Amino acid sequence: MFESASRGEVADTVPAEKGRSELYELDPSDIVLKTKSLTLGFGGSTVLDGVSLEFPRGSITSLIGPSGSGKTTFLRSLNRMNDGIRGYRRQGEVLLDSASIWDSAVNLLQLRRRVGMLFQRANPFPMSIRENVLVGVKAHGLAKRNDFDEITETLLKEVGLWKAVSDRLNGSPFSLSGGQQQLLCLARALAVRPEVLLLDEPTSALDPFSIELVENLIAKLAPKVTFVVVTHNLAQARRLSHATAFFFQGRLAEYGPTNKIFTAPSQLDTQRYVSGSIG
Amino acid sequence: MSSTVVPTERHDSPDENIRHREKGNRSFLGLKIVSTVAALIPVLALLAIVAVLLSESLPAIKLNGISFFTKFAWRPGGTYSLPTKTDGILHPVGSSFGIWPLLAGTLESSGIALLIAVPVSIGAALAVVKKLPKGLSTGVGFFLEILTGIPSVVYGLWGVMTLGPTLSRDVFPLIAKHAPSGFGFNFFKGNVGHGEGLITSGIILAIMVIPIISATTRDLLKQVPTLTEEGGMAIGMTDWETTKKITLPWVSKGVIGACILGLARALGETMAVAMVSGSVLGTIPSNLYSTFTTIAATIVSQLDSALTDGTGFYVKTLAETALVLMVITLLTNVAARLLVKRVSSSGLPVGRGV
Repeated sequence: MFESASRGEVADTVPAEKGRSELYELDPSDIVLKTKSLTLGFGGSTVLDGVSLEFPRGSITSLIGPSGSGKTTFLRSLNRMNDGIRGYRRQGEVLLDSASIWDSAVNLLQLRRRVGMLFQRANPFPMSIRENVLVGVKAHGLAKRNDFDEITETLLKEVGLWKAVSDRLNGSPFSLSGGQQQLLCLARALAVRPEVLLLDEPTSALDPFSIELVENLIAKLAPKVTFVVVTHNLAQARRLSHATAFFFQGRLAEYGPTNKIFTAPSQLDTQRYVSGSIG
Repeated sequence: MSSTVVPTERHDSPDENIRHREKGNRSFLGLKIVSTVAALIPVLALLAIVAVLLSESLPAIKLNGISFFTKFAWRPGGTYSLPTKTDGILHPVGSSFGIWPLLAGTLESSGIALLIAVPVSIGAALAVVKKLPKGLSTGVGFFLEILTGIPSVVYGLWGVMTLGPTLSRDVFPLIAKHAPSGFGFNFFKGNVGHGEGLITSGIILAIMVIPIISATTRDLLKQVPTLTEEGGMAIGMTDWETTKKITLPWVSKGVIGACILGLARALGETMAVAMVSGSVLGTIPSNLYSTFTTIAATIVSQLDSALTDGTGFYVKTLAETALVLMVITLLTNVAARLLVKRVSSSGLPVGRGV
């Protein structure tokens, strides 16, 4: 079968059972993104209370917890996607390379170039596949027109889409499968050379084969890009991330190396969640 | 079987139950026939209208010939003298008709209307959906919908009494004075008239068409997925870039359709234009402010005098004129469909969710 063959190939590149997070060393003192007692809410209700987290450069951090525990609100605050939402309020700080992202000197567009996002479902733009890849590059003026073809090819190869779409770069992205669309969105996000990528349940709408593709990509990109991943897939958090943060009832209940969170959590709630007795 | 069966009794025996329901099934068949006939009525009505228009205008088509489309003249002829016969068709002496000025006037006034209405409508729809606070947006939306319901004669009266005179006194002279000289721009210069004419009609038509286009566009914009627009924000595109590259392309097919709807309305609009055009037959507008007339306005303003033509030739000519208007509207719709098809086959998800 075609699928099982390509599965084998992919599995060869990254030995899944080893735990991808152990493939390279992180410098724990090099913190790219950091939140300081971040409290978030909408209108009268507080969604998240006093979260302090640090994301070392090149790390993959999973945010886990039941629905409604504030993970997504937290994630969306990291590149100010919530700023336009009615009634949104916040206290505390988010520091990108030690500078507040809400500082008046910060350019919002530049912030979002540096801290990108991938969403729950693929959201290709209504333009050709090629334009989808290049749209951010063009908006930020990151490259010259002569380089566009090369950039498109490099990025599509990086996410493993090149073979599938090289003959229809000017075609519609909506003719692609759900998994391919999400990979295209990843290529689009990578095209502006982000330092941090926020992933909001990026594989929840994908089939297992596509999930593996996306996970392998994240693992491959991680030394260059820092990932913060909201996921309901505990196995994914376990095999993908260096560190895991467990959100429960609007608070950061526990944070630590993934291994410890899953094998020796200090909180009862964490233990019950990761073992599947709640959630 | 008794005709006064109480409902509960029906279900007592399975046999009776079946019989009753079969009867129901038969009457459902009847309903199907009735609804099929009802569905055919619009088709038949359209065919009947075309057939009657064609047969009524046939003598006029024969006598006016192909030069009907090139001539400027609009002379009903001497209705008080004895009629004469040409090619076996009875008509008043000296009658001669050319539709060219009406055709030009119709296309020009509708074109001006669209030039104004399309950007304003899309802007208004974007403001209502994206920019205005919720209360205000609901209010503006409400007023837009009310605008569609205003009778065209009211627009016409307002145009004649207020808009036209005001513009021709305060605005048109400024445009005429400051328009640059040169080949294309001479159209903006010259006598600004008294407020009845091409530009006033175009503006009135635009005001009538704006609610149609903007209400449709607004409904389309509401259906654009938030996730897709947030995708634009998330890679650092500005609001305007997101709107231009994501939101508007997403709805472009539907918006083109809405614009064609508006164009069809402008082409066929009768009363308001008849009131503010100045109803001048036989000339095409020499500048933006000239008096003129359109096909629809001519039909309504000339019908009375046409009926005084004992030979019936004038009315038949008006029927031919109406036929031309119908063909134009039909062609507009076909062109719109082809255009929309071309846009959608370019691989973009235009009009998704429409």
